[in-house]
Amino acid sequence: MGILGLSKLIADVAPSAVKEKDIKHYFGRKIAIDASMCLYQFLIAVRSEGAQLTSIDGETTSHLMGIFYRTLRFIEQGIKPVYVFDGKPPNLKGGELAKRAEKRDEAQKALEVAEAAGNTEDIQKFNRRLVKVTKQHAEDSKQLLKLMGVPYIDAPCEAEAQCTALVQSGKVFATATEDMDALTFGCNVLLRRMTFSEARKMPIQEIHYDKVLEGLELNKDEFIDLCIMLGCDYTDSIRGIGPKRAMELIKTHRSLEKILENLDTNKYPVPTDWNYKQARILFQEPEVMDPNNIELKWSDPDEEGLVNFLCGDKQFNEDRVRNGSKKLLKARGTSTQGRLDSFFKVLPSTTPVKRKADDKKTPAKKGKPAGRGKFRGKAK
Amino acid sequence: MFEARLVQSAILKKVLEAIKDLLTEATFDCSDSGIQLQAMDNAHVSLVSLNLRSDGFDKYRCDRNLSMGMNLGNMTKIMKCAGAEDTVTMKAQDNADVVAFMFESKNQEKVSDYEMKLMNLDQEHLGIPETDYSCIVKMPSQEFARICRDLSQFGESMAISCTKEGVKFSSAGDIGSANIKLAQTANVDAEEEAVVIEMQEPVSLTFACRYLNSFTKATPLSAQVQLSMSADVPLVVEYKIGELGHIRYYLAPKIEDEDN
Repeated sequence: MGILGLSKLIADVAPSAVKEKDIKHYFGRKIAIDASMCLYQFLIAVRSEGAQLTSIDGETTSHLMGIFYRTLRFIEQGIKPVYVFDGKPPNLKGGELAKRAEKRDEAQKALEVAEAAGNTEDIQKFNRRLVKVTKQHAEDSKQLLKLMGVPYIDAPCEAEAQCTALVQSGKVFATATEDMDALTFGCNVLLRRMTFSEARKMPIQEIHYDKVLEGLELNKDEFIDLCIMLGCDYTDSIRGIGPKRAMELIKTHRSLEKILENLDTNKYPVPTDWNYKQARILFQEPEVMDPNNIELKWSDPDEEGLVNFLCGDKQFNEDRVRNGSKKLLKARGTSTQGRLDSFFKVLPSTTPVKRKADDKKTPAKKGKPAGRGKFRGKAK
Repeated sequence: MFEARLVQSAILKKVLEAIKDLLTEATFDCSDSGIQLQAMDNAHVSLVSLNLRSDGFDKYRCDRNLSMGMNLGNMTKIMKCAGAEDTVTMKAQDNADVVAFMFESKNQEKVSDYEMKLMNLDQEHLGIPETDYSCIVKMPSQEFARICRDLSQFGESMAISCTKEGVKFSSAGDIGSANIKLAQTANVDAEEEAVVIEMQEPVSLTFACRYLNSFTKATPLSAQVQLSMSADVPLVVEYKIGELGHIRYYLAPKIEDEDN
């Protein structure tokens, strides 16, 4: 899933790239949501007494519950979500997918053992590991979104790449996903924890791509190479090279080719037929739809349609569905608060005045002990 | 070395009152020409721009440009310690970690010193373009505060419409609706009590009452307030601070959604 250890690396090396904000600060923003990621979250998290919610026939409905209420919350906050679904996985992802299937088989076996032993805790644990987002889940969700009047996009390939294209074209403000790949694709703003439950009271993490590059002191291509070394979904990584080592290598040699020339392959065996070049191309030129041809349209919810779809077999409470639909409609009626930063442009933060001040501060900072809270003296 | 002295500490108290509703922390940029502060509220809907000119202070010295990040809640605590008649002096060394406030009573019988830790704030400066506004309304600041307070009882947003005849404030909500019209004052005797409208073309915009109410916390600074409006750009609410400078608030309008 995503890039191994990238979020920790960013937090350590480029902490200024990550900001924590409350969900209410995103009103008026259009946000592309990685649907596969959030469906997966819902299938795992939305449960009652450890089991997924189901319809009368035993079909899972956890994901619909999640989509319905989470989308409702976004819209009530004035956020305009657009869901992006994964298309076919790229060929290179086959290895990763096979690995995941293998893990699922293991979990299945472990589950059988746990069931035989009657260990409830383990049963729940392995049950969660078996979760897989199926085509049917995605189709149900799309139908629900259509009834709610929320747009969705079928990406030709990876959803994160399509989200990134939308952000880069300015069609949406940010991508909401837990997957750090979106940054590797070059997504300007990445939001994490967006689709988490409100009850967890976790602030949203806003990660800025340009600040990440600035903090790591890398350019776009070097960053992609770094991500490949850390470990991505498309290819293997070099054994024995962790985040720290990878950072050092990319800073000294500036590209994977140069690193391979200089690397002691006895110490760090490079995978045979390492296809990092193809992985790199996937990140540089992912298969996406041209965002200019995509029209995002939010429309009124279809209350009767929602009731027909969710109540009955799927066992949703009719009152709550109708109430939700009314809330959707009401949220559309009110005019949205404009944002000041859409009128006035942010000036580059290094105006001469500030830079002077910063330069002077830097040497002073070093000698001081850390851990003085937010006040001056803390290493930035 | 930075040093700025004001004989009336009350002005600084009022300035602080006028911004602490919207901002919890802010950077004071001190330079040769004076003290400036520009910051958006958390939600990025409004912006405060404070300008205090060096020549407005009773004593002002700033050798090197200095940015001081302050927690406004803490600064308020310190300013509360100053008597109404006290003289206040702000001081900081170049590269300082702290800013010092010195309060002196009238005849120097009592001198109090306070030091406050400074903060490193990463803040974004916005470039505000020069704009020729379609409508500029000058009116008594207390009247404006009263209108904002009254209308916010009806709804969370209010419309401000300006024509040649006058300016209209209106709001509607669950309990009903409210409309307040102010006509231009015919004979201007006392400039501060008059309603004066300079209009190129009529404008009507809608704003959140909550922010307007926060702006009116600056009312004690000036008897007159100036509202500048143009279609589809933020409103500017300006209060003069005597000879010292001004405080300007920018507020993004509410917009009808083009996607709906």
